[in-house]
Amino acid sequence: MKRYFKDIFQSIWTVLQGMKITGNHLFTRSCTLQYPSVKWELPERSRMRLFNKIEDCIGCGQCVRACPVDCIYMTTEKRAKQEPPLFAADGTPIKLRVTQFDIDMSLCCYCNLCTYPCPTHCLVMTPEYEFAVQSKQDFLYRFAKEEPQAPPKPAPTPRPAAAR
Amino acid sequence: MQVEAYAGEEMVLNMGPQHPSTHGVLRLELETDGEIVRNVIPHIGYLHRCFEKHAEKVDYPGVIPFCDRMDYIASMNNSLGYALAVEKLMDLEVNERVKTLRVLMAELNRIASHLLSVGTYAMDIGSFTPFLHCFREREKILDLFEWLCGARLLYNYNWVGGVSHDIPDGFEAKTREFLGQFEPVIAELDKLLSYNKIFLERTANVGIISEEQALSHNVTGPNLRGSGIAWDLRREEPYCGYDTYDFEVPVGLGEYGPLGSCWDRYYVRVREMEQSLGLIRQALDRLPEGDVQEHIPRRVRPAKNEVYDRTETPRGELGYYVVSDGGLIPFRVKVKSPCFTVLSLLPAIARGGMVADIIAIIGSIDIVMGEIDR
Repeated sequence: MKRYFKDIFQSIWTVLQGMKITGNHLFTRSCTLQYPSVKWELPERSRMRLFNKIEDCIGCGQCVRACPVDCIYMTTEKRAKQEPPLFAADGTPIKLRVTQFDIDMSLCCYCNLCTYPCPTHCLVMTPEYEFAVQSKQDFLYRFAKEEPQAPPKPAPTPRPAAAR
Repeated sequence: MQVEAYAGEEMVLNMGPQHPSTHGVLRLELETDGEIVRNVIPHIGYLHRCFEKHAEKVDYPGVIPFCDRMDYIASMNNSLGYALAVEKLMDLEVNERVKTLRVLMAELNRIASHLLSVGTYAMDIGSFTPFLHCFREREKILDLFEWLCGARLLYNYNWVGGVSHDIPDGFEAKTREFLGQFEPVIAELDKLLSYNKIFLERTANVGIISEEQALSHNVTGPNLRGSGIAWDLRREEPYCGYDTYDFEVPVGLGEYGPLGSCWDRYYVRVREMEQSLGLIRQALDRLPEGDVQEHIPRRVRPAKNEVYDRTETPRGELGYYVVSDGGLIPFRVKVKSPCFTVLSLLPAIARGGMVADIIAIIGSIDIVMGEIDR
């Protein structure tokens, strides 16, 4: 009987202590942000949306090899010798024409492994985080601007089975 | 009261896969007799993402993002284990700054993980306020991590041979500021939750893991220490120079009810947060100069060898067994997960209890389904 009342008293007492802490927090500053109207400034290193400055891209394909989920698709072709020489912003000569540089942002795992090997630092992760789209197709970012100019290679003729 | 006298018809009850208190997608098949649980059968695999198969397809640094996604609450600790295993495979020695930074980040992440564990446990039991307090503090740690490496949850920070970023200017001061304001929060949490009578009644006599049970089921981490065994890999098999730090290994004492109860496991986590605070302070004090990317190899290509390395994550002992065939891609990466082993103990400790106790037990063993299913 004594224990019964003791338990009740202890329950009420400890709950009241908790209420006191909660009550004290009523008068502290709120730590929430009213998101769409108030926005938070993200730090410089934030890894959100991928962006490729295609003018500086030399088409080396190191980002494609580094990506653990294979979400970067790249096609290149050799620039002809008579074409005017092109240089990236840091002076690296561009010898390949990037005709396809697609990033499927819906596959991207935001690990940042693709941006480290980039020799001209043209592939970067930007702190921009509001890029929701209506359709999944819109997540495929096409960065390449140039059209393929060399005629497509003819498909290799299959060798006869006896020659193998 | 004799429970057997009231035995009636048994009913099979499904708890989960989508249940707020199963901490992920865990399905429990409960064989109940009224309120009494006769048997529990955990069904896992809902979050299986083929980690080990993926690891055989990508190169050594590319596995690290997948490691982060195993135990997504303590990513720093997960990738640390893998990085250490591959470094051991390659006989790579990192400099002191990298070691100290790794300890610093691992301990910060340990606090964040325990905060989430404690907060959600309180919410499972029915107390909502501590959850909000814990999440407010966890948010500050995540802000620090975002400032450090750009990501809030999946950091890809510990690389083979180094870390991805050195700390930004002012990080040290900001971390010290956080430590200073976090210490009173633990005291507040004790008042608010730990010694609350209702919380004690719900947890202190429930889900008892005895010493023998814990050892025979290979329980590790705070769950093992809750049963009174002071086993901590940071102390027993020091890595990253943990042997040079001064810290205690808190164990359950059985102050309220028998030793190894849910409350003991909960309280070990709270005390561990205090120890982590001390570790972070020491790491900040000693932070040596150096280049954090000095030892990162251009190509990670270990010789043909195999290695097993284990580290202490917030959930227990995480082991990586990495086999190399001399190529750029791991031949095999096998993970020994702490949550998986402790979940195997769930039927043994939940049998004979109430349905409501199952929730208290699952919360107290602190499982993350991402790590169990991988």
